[in-house]
Amino acid sequence: MTRIVAPLVFGVLLLAAWEIGVVIGEVPSYIMPRPSEIASALWANAGDLAAALAVTLQVTVAALALAAMSGALIAIGLSQSQLAERVFFPYAIFLQVTPIVTIAPFVIIWVENIFIVLLILAWMAAIFPVISNTLLGLKSVDQNLKDLFRLYGATRWQTVRRLMIPSALPYFLGGLRIAGGLALIGTVVAEMVAGTSGTRSGLASRLVEASYRLELAVALACFALLSAAGLGLYVVLDAVSRRLLRHWHESAAAT
Amino acid sequence: MSEPAFRLTGVAKTYPGGISALSPTTLDIARGSFVGLVGPSGCGKSTLLRLLAGLLTPSEGEITRGSGTTDTGFVFQDATLMPWANVAANVALPLSFKRRGAEGVAETLKRVGLDGFAGAYPRELSGGMQMRVSIARAIVTNPPVLLMDEPFAALDEFTRFRLNDDLHILWQQNKWTVVFVTHSIREAVFLSQRVIVMSPRPGRVLADIAVRLPDQREPGLRSSHILADQCAEISEILRRSMDGAMAA
Repeated sequence: MTRIVAPLVFGVLLLAAWEIGVVIGEVPSYIMPRPSEIASALWANAGDLAAALAVTLQVTVAALALAAMSGALIAIGLSQSQLAERVFFPYAIFLQVTPIVTIAPFVIIWVENIFIVLLILAWMAAIFPVISNTLLGLKSVDQNLKDLFRLYGATRWQTVRRLMIPSALPYFLGGLRIAGGLALIGTVVAEMVAGTSGTRSGLASRLVEASYRLELAVALACFALLSAAGLGLYVVLDAVSRRLLRHWHESAAAT
Repeated sequence: MSEPAFRLTGVAKTYPGGISALSPTTLDIARGSFVGLVGPSGCGKSTLLRLLAGLLTPSEGEITRGSGTTDTGFVFQDATLMPWANVAANVALPLSFKRRGAEGVAETLKRVGLDGFAGAYPRELSGGMQMRVSIARAIVTNPPVLLMDEPFAALDEFTRFRLNDDLHILWQQNKWTVVFVTHSIREAVFLSQRVIVMSPRPGRVLADIAVRLPDQREPGLRSSHILADQCAEISEILRRSMDGAMAA
């Protein structure tokens, strides 16, 4: 109980202090709106913001799914050959260390469809932890079990499917939880750089737009929704991970 | 005598890096015999077992296996189970590569005393029970050869005695060729018909001793004088070789 209540109480106290501080200090709302103003901005623009959130989440979830599948396949490919790993893994690192903001302008020029642009950028942000974690998992297979598979005449594909992939699953899921947050960050950054507008604009574009107009209550409402979306994504991925590992992995043991 | 299950002719193993794990060894292992392999750590007994299993290839010499002995069960010191699979799926592993489904899994679980645990996951079982699953997996195909690498070393003594007794009965019923590696002289003598004593650096066979015990290994035999005498004999051989190695 206290695990949920304690942080909630702290959050409420923080918001109350904010509200009171702004009122006492007579800070104008275009510099620092009160939490109650943010809440009413959220309420007043609910339909609009919900649509924007849906756009952002669509990109995020699609990019995450793509990163999960392609990342896992790439990791399996790399695990099958030391040469392949030596050749390709540095490029995976390259993807990781290059800030997406610097790649965005090129992608925007080369790709016309804005949804695809956002998807590519969010995918690039999310894929590395999936590849690197899954690869680590694939290489951490119990050596004796591997010997046993050999002794029993398992084919290469049987060994991959029935030994390496299950062994790597906890690592893959750990990577996926990190990738979820990164996919959202990638989507937000891409939206801000691409400057999407109009009916198909996401929550991050709405945030930028509102801040240009000094509608800080709306901008902060967008911010709150994005945070909530990130948290929600994590909770979902964590639940999926626990569900898949519940019988056998220490990380999912009932506590 | 019929053709042996294994014939080793001058078999040696040197690991990359020049470490000699086993110096040239020549020996036969008779079909249906229970052979104990004892020696201190580093004497090459695990290497020898892996060579027999075909998991390692000899650097020198040749290993010939008797006809019809390719099917091999292997038991490691750790249970080495797939944690994501339940007991039945773990035991069925060797069958699944031979497209034989789950044939005989239930019966094998009964034989190792795991009736009713088919749906349990390894982490829900004690160390002794995990080892029983590991043994069930090794014998589910009823292989002519069973290789065991210190299988009970990590277990407490009570559990070890129980598993020793059960293993001996299973062997008497099935007459597999068993090669059993252990660092416990008592365990080797209690279980085996023949004990091969090895010494370290470089690993080599020191002595090859026929065990003089009745065929039925009753639990009471553990505290008997004949068992103690044979253990003392082997300890003496090991001690003398160690002294010799020190002096050299």
